[in-house]
Amino acid sequence: MTSQVQTLESLRAHRASAWTLSRRKMALRIFGLAVMIIYSVFTIFPFYILFVRSFVATADAGELHLWLPKARPVDMNTEVGNLSVFYNLDLKEMKQALGIPKGKVLRARETLAEVAKKYNIPEERIRNYFEGFYLFNGWQTLLFGQAGGSNFWAALLRTIIIAFISLGILIVLSIFTGYGLAGLRRRDQMYVYNLYLLQMVIPAMLIILPQYQMFQWFFKLFPGYDVQNSFIRQALQLLAVILINIKGTALSTMIFVSAISGIPRDLEESAMLDGAGRWQYIRHILFPLLKVPIVSLTVIQLPLFYNQFLEPYVYLDPANTTLLPFIANTAGQFSTNFQVIYSGVFASILPLLVVYLIFRRFFVEGVMAGAIKG
Amino acid sequence: MQVAATKPSSGISLPGPSAPTISALSRRRILEDWKYILPQLFFFVVLNIVPLFVAIPILLTDMSQFNDPQVNYVGLRNFTALFTDRAVQADYLPAFQRTIIFVALNYTTVYIFGLSLALLMYEVGFRGGFFTVIYLPLMVSGLAVGYMASMLFAKETGSANLLLMKLGLLKEPINIYTATGTALLLPLMVGWRYAGYNMAIFLSGLLSIPKETIESAVVDGASYWQRLTRIYFPQMWPSFILATTMCLIGSWAVFDELVALGALYVNPNAKFLSVLFFIYGFQVERLSMGMTLALETFLPLVLVGVALQRLQRRLQY
Repeated sequence: MTSQVQTLESLRAHRASAWTLSRRKMALRIFGLAVMIIYSVFTIFPFYILFVRSFVATADAGELHLWLPKARPVDMNTEVGNLSVFYNLDLKEMKQALGIPKGKVLRARETLAEVAKKYNIPEERIRNYFEGFYLFNGWQTLLFGQAGGSNFWAALLRTIIIAFISLGILIVLSIFTGYGLAGLRRRDQMYVYNLYLLQMVIPAMLIILPQYQMFQWFFKLFPGYDVQNSFIRQALQLLAVILINIKGTALSTMIFVSAISGIPRDLEESAMLDGAGRWQYIRHILFPLLKVPIVSLTVIQLPLFYNQFLEPYVYLDPANTTLLPFIANTAGQFSTNFQVIYSGVFASILPLLVVYLIFRRFFVEGVMAGAIKG
Repeated sequence: MQVAATKPSSGISLPGPSAPTISALSRRRILEDWKYILPQLFFFVVLNIVPLFVAIPILLTDMSQFNDPQVNYVGLRNFTALFTDRAVQADYLPAFQRTIIFVALNYTTVYIFGLSLALLMYEVGFRGGFFTVIYLPLMVSGLAVGYMASMLFAKETGSANLLLMKLGLLKEPINIYTATGTALLLPLMVGWRYAGYNMAIFLSGLLSIPKETIESAVVDGASYWQRLTRIYFPQMWPSFILATTMCLIGSWAVFDELVALGALYVNPNAKFLSVLFFIYGFQVERLSMGMTLALETFLPLVLVGVALQRLQRRLQY
């Protein structure tokens, strides 16, 4: 079995030798590079369009926009009733922003000019308010609004908490597993290893129904079993998702078993001779040696945890949910407002994208090292 | 149980035929090992293996929802429903058809995107920058990919539709919400998403080929096609099998993308098998039927997956 170190070395050697080809192949090389650049554009295109579309008003979605649109001039003859459809705005908020007293009712057939006259608001103020709303309606609704009883920031926070707790515990438990299975010398170790490999071929959809049933029995936190204390209920729901995340995967087992198998046994024996216990050996000697596999598992698993949808969607209340179910709820609630939906989708991608671009070196090397294991 | 605890460990080796008796020392070693194996194994078995067995008694009943007050034993009726019950067939067969078309097309994207990009990268030389870009879509969730698909290819408002029509490459707008649209475009989007992942699998397979074999083939005057079929592909079998396994399991159970396309509520054309099981379990109170159908669908798949895994390991070691 190729170790990760060897893979990375061959990767670097390959990179270095690639420049020493004959000139005849330069043409082919340039052709190849051109194809890669075209494919890169093809890859980036949806991201760019998503960014642009998060600023395009739903009413203008039928036109092609390749750059941020200019705000449409506000027609003072527009009726109030049409505005709420057009800009998807909340009338209460609009009244507050324009300084209209709370008791007054705006009629659907009143035009903006009439409203301005009636409440003595300068037209300029109304224009500014709606022009700002034109571009940023989606982002405003997403970042300051509610969907299903949760808001964007709380959902993001829950996602981050779940992802980091899951990742931390998964790494520690997987190192233990890898240590216990290292070498795969005995039959019992082989059985356990093969059991973990099963995870790769069992789809989550196959076990989600009975799994949900089991959580229903033990945690009693779903509809019909309403626990009085909602804090405990929500904490147990989050715990359910974390438990599913830390249960170990084929990948985590393969990565750590092969990494720890590659570490000489002499190291452990000499540590034992010096009086170290097993725990001390793992903590102070093994752990620092496992940086490459830890990075490898992190860069593969972090996107999976961050982008987890099925389990949070099933196990968490809408008021207690993570980012992606929140986006799905938002899209369900504002189903005709594309601006909000695409703002939400873009906002859900952005945090991980930033992390990816900052740590891209680790991602590339970790993924290449992990790809060997599957 | 065979034990050779003193043998220096070097990678993975199957237990040897010789079976020395277990000494007290190695027995302690086994116990110690299990102390470290057990914590995660407990969660794994309880959450991933036990559910398969928990399902068995439920499959024989007419349990309609998770806290059904009245559950009756119905024997094997759920299992035969797929072949006898018209209502179930009306739900299952169209979903099955959609799924199998999706799986087939999605499997071709593994090669169209993943393999070609890996070969390109291998011949041009490894470029971290391109890898970064190609791997980028993997940071996008399946749900977001579904919304992006409808953003690009919705009939009236799809940006890609509008662009292609403006460039004159397209006369009629594509509509992702039709049956054909979903069947053709969803694999494209999913292939786009997994391109970097599949490329990494194939590229690591390519990089593990000994350089000498390629060089001697070049010296002997082999054309590129001959090199591909005689040198590269035969030595990349583990990569092919791994990519096949991942694609097969992943695309049979595709779910997130379909939710984004409205499969759970409004869009019947996006109702694939996994969506059907979800709806049976959580929405229309046909829990035991949903579990049975899921088992009947996925169990053959799991067996194929296990066989592929075994094959891969035999080829690799």
